[in-house]
Amino acid sequence: MSGLTELDQITHAARGDRAAQSALVNRNMPIIYRVAYRMLQDEAEAEDVTQETFLRAWKVLPDWQPKAKFSTWACTVALNLCRDRLRKKKPVLMGELPERVDTALRPEEALASQQAQAGIAEKIAQLPERQREALTLCALEGMTNIEAAEAMSVSVRALESLLARARRALRASLQAERVGETG
Amino acid sequence: MTELNMTAERVLELILAYGAETGGWPEDEREAARVFLEAEPARFAEALSEARLLDTLMMDLETPEPPASLSETILARAPKAMPQQNSLIGLLGKTLFPQGVKWPAGAALASLLMGLVGGYAYASTGIGYDQADSAYYMAFGFESDQAWLETE
Repeated sequence: MSGLTELDQITHAARGDRAAQSALVNRNMPIIYRVAYRMLQDEAEAEDVTQETFLRAWKVLPDWQPKAKFSTWACTVALNLCRDRLRKKKPVLMGELPERVDTALRPEEALASQQAQAGIAEKIAQLPERQREALTLCALEGMTNIEAAEAMSVSVRALESLLARARRALRASLQAERVGETG
Repeated sequence: MTELNMTAERVLELILAYGAETGGWPEDEREAARVFLEAEPARFAEALSEARLLDTLMMDLETPEPPASLSETILARAPKAMPQQNSLIGLLGKTLFPQGVKWPAGAALASLLMGLVGGYAYASTGIGYDQADSAYYMAFGFESDQAWLETE
């Protein structure tokens, strides 16, 4: 299957070709699962979202239009499913973190802190939903800005703004924690 | 974006949004921004240092791995290939109805096959032939085909 283009693979998969289906799943399933897990912070829910994403894929593959990469399309579906689930949950996010930057601390000091490292996953989980999506796709999954913006259905400029706000919030949170430790 | 269009403010925006690794920056701005960084390293040192802190922390994050059984669960619900029809009737049906045998076409094919099989079975008994011949000769006043032949 390695010599096939993605479109060939999708065409074969739609016709029931098991090898093409396996290749499509093996190539795209891990990123879908990781994105879902990072958004929902729950293994069972991430599995459900991944399964549901592929169920939808099996339905649309016969009429697939190669407007986007399969992974981008699948991420869009998975993000929408995650948003639906997050909406149904009781909000536990702490909202916008302060965007103030405390320049009194050197970043190297924070880097040295084991607690900061252990807590970064939690801090990302507490970011507002859209900022977390942007950070997950770009910084954690290595998507390009264009792919991530497409997956999130936003402009590249909007994506950049979300990324910048997410990073600023994380940095402020790390520094506030550091102040708490030393003060 | 060309080097001429790139500004220090834009480089700072890129660092803030995409982190310290220029490899993760937008492809169309990467080179121009690199030139800027190399030209004035001190100007961007603090921003790069702060961004690198987050990059490092995020890089060290545990990567969630999907359970091994998830692929099989997903593939179990994937569309199945249509079964191949290699029998004589299957091949005949495929030849006559390449788009698939729909109900009316299927009924017509079934009628045709039944007619052929029934006709062959009837003819092979020989009864029908004799009765038809007798009726034919009797219509002309002969008792049998022998009587008919004798008149010729």
